[in-house]
Amino acid sequence: MTEVSRTVSTKAILLGNEAIARGIVEAGCLVASAYPGTPSSEILPAVAKFADELGSPMAVEWGVNEKVAFEVAAAASFTGARSCAVMKQVGLNVAADPFMSAAHFQLKGGMLLVVADDPGPHSSQTEQDSRYFAMFAKVPCFDPCSAAEAKEMVFDAFDLSERFGIITMLRPSVRVDHCRQDVELGELRPPKGQVKFEKEPSRWVCLPASVKVNHPRLNAKVEEIRAAFETEFGKYNYEVPSREKSVLGIVASGVCFSVVSDILKEWGREDVAVLKIGTPHPLPVKMVTDFISRHPKVLFLEETYPVMEMQLPDRTGILGRWNGVVPGAGELLPEVIAGILAKILGMDQPSGEGSSLLREALEDLKITPRKPMLCPGCPHRASYFSIRQALPNAVNPSDIGCYTLGVNQKAVDAVVDMGASVTMGSGFFLAHKAAGTERPIVSTIGDSTFFHMGIPGLVSAVYNRHAFVLGILDNSTTAMTGGQANPAVGDKLRKGDEGRKVDIEAVCRGCGVTFVRTIEAYDVAAGKEAVKEAWEHAQSRSEPAVIIFRHPCMLLRPQQPVVQVKVDPEKCIGCKFCINFFNCPGLVFDETRSKAYIDERFCVSCGVCISVCPHGAIAEVSEEGK
Amino acid sequence: MQYVIVGIGGQGILFASKVLGKIALERGESVIGSEVHGMAQRGGSVISHFKVGDYRSPLVMAGEADILLAFDQSEAVRNLHFLKKKGSLVVNVHDRKALENASLAGLVRDREINVHSLEGYALLKEHMGGNFLFLNVLLIGAMCGAGISGLSFAEVSRAVKELSPPKFQDANMKVLALGAEAICSGR
Repeated sequence: MTEVSRTVSTKAILLGNEAIARGIVEAGCLVASAYPGTPSSEILPAVAKFADELGSPMAVEWGVNEKVAFEVAAAASFTGARSCAVMKQVGLNVAADPFMSAAHFQLKGGMLLVVADDPGPHSSQTEQDSRYFAMFAKVPCFDPCSAAEAKEMVFDAFDLSERFGIITMLRPSVRVDHCRQDVELGELRPPKGQVKFEKEPSRWVCLPASVKVNHPRLNAKVEEIRAAFETEFGKYNYEVPSREKSVLGIVASGVCFSVVSDILKEWGREDVAVLKIGTPHPLPVKMVTDFISRHPKVLFLEETYPVMEMQLPDRTGILGRWNGVVPGAGELLPEVIAGILAKILGMDQPSGEGSSLLREALEDLKITPRKPMLCPGCPHRASYFSIRQALPNAVNPSDIGCYTLGVNQKAVDAVVDMGASVTMGSGFFLAHKAAGTERPIVSTIGDSTFFHMGIPGLVSAVYNRHAFVLGILDNSTTAMTGGQANPAVGDKLRKGDEGRKVDIEAVCRGCGVTFVRTIEAYDVAAGKEAVKEAWEHAQSRSEPAVIIFRHPCMLLRPQQPVVQVKVDPEKCIGCKFCINFFNCPGLVFDETRSKAYIDERFCVSCGVCISVCPHGAIAEVSEEGK
Repeated sequence: MQYVIVGIGGQGILFASKVLGKIALERGESVIGSEVHGMAQRGGSVISHFKVGDYRSPLVMAGEADILLAFDQSEAVRNLHFLKKKGSLVVNVHDRKALENASLAGLVRDREINVHSLEGYALLKEHMGGNFLFLNVLLIGAMCGAGISGLSFAEVSRAVKELSPPKFQDANMKVLALGAEAICSGR
């Protein structure tokens, strides 16, 4: 995390996520809970850090999943405390149930829901727009255009939540979360109100009878908030008028506003006006339709769904997604927006990809984007190799985490969402069983993902007697998102807080699994044997079997033996087995010599590849060879 | 001033924008930039955008960057379209031969790109016992040595020092100077 560098003006360069975190602490939030997920992951650790620095009494905790985090925060709000839940866009899918329900409540303490979206996407399985979810649940949404604005919006979101007794969503997109900007720092504000839960079943129990009252009240709130957004939030919703007679008006929300502002400035266009909208739901419709009426053409720029567009009484007169002017998928990068604008304004199309010379050079030099891959020394690579070697014919469902990158090791066949490796194991088993056929199934899931949503599927598989092997890849951290703690680790976020470690083996046994084996992930031979044995157990008894592949994540920089390796060019026959099935950045192939070799720029000397080469060409460098 | 910093996940490219940010803050300048975190960080192509001055967007548009700081030569070529005409490239080269290409040379000539290259891995092998984690500071030193960023060595050095964990401070100072000298001496 960034060290906050203080100056006299109390400005600091913060990551957008740190700016949001700073706002949450300064606003006097008392309970903050989250599950990590890119691009939201840095928020909660920064909340803990600022809470420690500013001496806030607040609780800051990772929940085991987003549903847990959301419900923890919601109940805190029932007591009158300001609370906050933080997650990524697909995390809100997990928390959708309490979100939809609690949206109907007349809350007591302000409740902020921060949902980070990932247009692109860069690190997600969808590029869904959470503002749509806000519209679905009928709650207000703030869409920041920068880190500084995101921080400011936190205060207003809490105030708005308390004023209307409603959950308020702050929806930063990845370019706000991971933008680095100078941000003003403030002091801790005293918590508002007092924490006191009052029994009032009609308010806190979501019976159908209450919905008959709550839903019309919610509809009324939406209209009151819309009216407030029309007039009171000029700092987020404002017009940047054109200096000359306008040829085009642009309605832009979130980071699209920032991008389009820089483009117009660079191009020196004085004949384009921009209406910035920071509160896309409920849309200040009067403000927007007034703007539309004053410009010959109006373009809507927002990510990634047409949320503002959809709220217009009539959108047939505007340029946007409904008529294909704005692409319906992908991130609205500066080059994309510049292309759209150039077309509308009749300018030359700027070439985003560079000249033909550059394209030729890239082709000649065979340079393509480098795909993400498991780190050198990653224990998952060894686990996958064991699994593939033991049962080459197996179906391999997997899950969400670094280990999804096991596609490069040809050891990942299907991934849907958090926890689905376990339930897909069941589905593959049942389909084959019903068809009267059989195929080995080895699923893989990480330690944090197992706790997140793997357990219900495992209980279901034990109960229904589904035969498959579940490999839990325990690297003692939530690695993909930057190394957060989880129940398998037991650490907590705030200084002085002590957690308790939850034992994965005990959980599996408690769920009724009779075969639970833990092995050292680097030990490929042991892994291979364990997988074979586990499948035999699962198959013969018709029940799931669990193997825990344990070895710390390389990002934790574990102390481990250094095994310096080399490829013997005499023994290497150029079969590429190691490249195709082990696929390590430190072990590469020289096409001209047709030999594998160690790329010392990346090799971390874990030594696992020694057991990979079927021809014994990879060996430890002898003492005298070092 | 607009920078694009590129490399491969794990090379520590984020440190460069932290250093640039710290210097700008001390100068009282506004900054905004964009970083890559998450899955894309794992060994894949990574890119940071960093803008100092009166900007709103965290992203540098193609053809607008003043400086392209490349931790990897292939990533340098792949992102060359970000550089404006007469922009400067600082690049860590590990295989000079692989870069010999007529189209590339033509592009560099046409766009009048100032190329400052150094053999980072060889330098770190020679001077730092092959600890390639120092690549980020080496490249920052090289950028400083190239005299293209308008930042003084003293300023950069102070920022790097303050942002370094105590146990790496001395080594980072050594590497920073090494990078600057490598460019000055044309190595």
